[in-house]
Amino acid sequence: MKLNLYEDVNCEEHVDVYYNCMRPVVRQIIDAVDSDRPSLSGRPADSDLDDGDSVLLDPRDIYYLDHVERKLFAYTRSGVYRLMTTLSDCEAELWNYGFVRVSKSNIINIYKIRQLKPDINMKVYAFFDNGERICINRSYKKSFNEYLERMRRIK
Amino acid sequence: MERFKQYVLELCSVYTLMSVLGAVINIIAGTETNNANVLIMFATCAIATFVLFMHKLIDNVSPLVMIIVQYVVACALVGAMLLALSVLVEPISARGWFEYYRSFTIPYIVLAGFYYYRVFSEAKKQDAMIKEIQEKEPEDR
Repeated sequence: MKLNLYEDVNCEEHVDVYYNCMRPVVRQIIDAVDSDRPSLSGRPADSDLDDGDSVLLDPRDIYYLDHVERKLFAYTRSGVYRLMTTLSDCEAELWNYGFVRVSKSNIINIYKIRQLKPDINMKVYAFFDNGERICINRSYKKSFNEYLERMRRIK
Repeated sequence: MERFKQYVLELCSVYTLMSVLGAVINIIAGTETNNANVLIMFATCAIATFVLFMHKLIDNVSPLVMIIVQYVVACALVGAMLLALSVLVEPISARGWFEYYRSFTIPYIVLAGFYYYRVFSEAKKQDAMIKEIQEKEPEDR
């Protein structure tokens, strides 16, 4: 898809989309422009970085973000995507949208949690709709609780 | 270095509180303490603060394992302290060893049980909060 960008400090910011078929990627661009919600750009984790189309991920579809070996991955129902950004940037960007840091390498979407449950070792896990689980690290327990309190108040 | 400073700060706070509490108890009971007791109290505070401080250091170990590790470390440090006292001040009888271990084991188990209960009750509370937030979720959040 050809992309033209024009910088004009005097103009009212706008986006024109020319398309011949309403493909998912076009739909995603429209959704991204239409919404105040941030979207994340990622590539399927199993594809090479140089090939494969980049897709825009809606934060509502993401279960959690995982930082492994200096790479950041987003887990959704449809698959795993590699994001070319940092965990702390995502944390700052998605803070208002139900995403909270629960360990050094994980940010979870509280809207996707099915249950929060401790195991016999007293480690607390967030269980997701897709059957996966993420441990809530005890040093993040306080900030996690404060985040929940805050989200409960503002709704 | 930062952690050491934090440890010393916590130790000072704990020792001050224990000293004041000990002084109040002595006034009420009409008893007096001696230099050896003051030093033992300081060593006990140092061990207790260190053992509790460990909780923050090893983050990826489960809390239950951490509680057990902390207890073992506390036992070893207390054992070393009693051994030093036994050699330097006066020999400690078998009963003395038993009493000292009992005096910190019982509160330790009670507090560990309370911590265990807190983990489960807090998780339940947080789970309820998450459900509440999810129910109130707006269409276009």
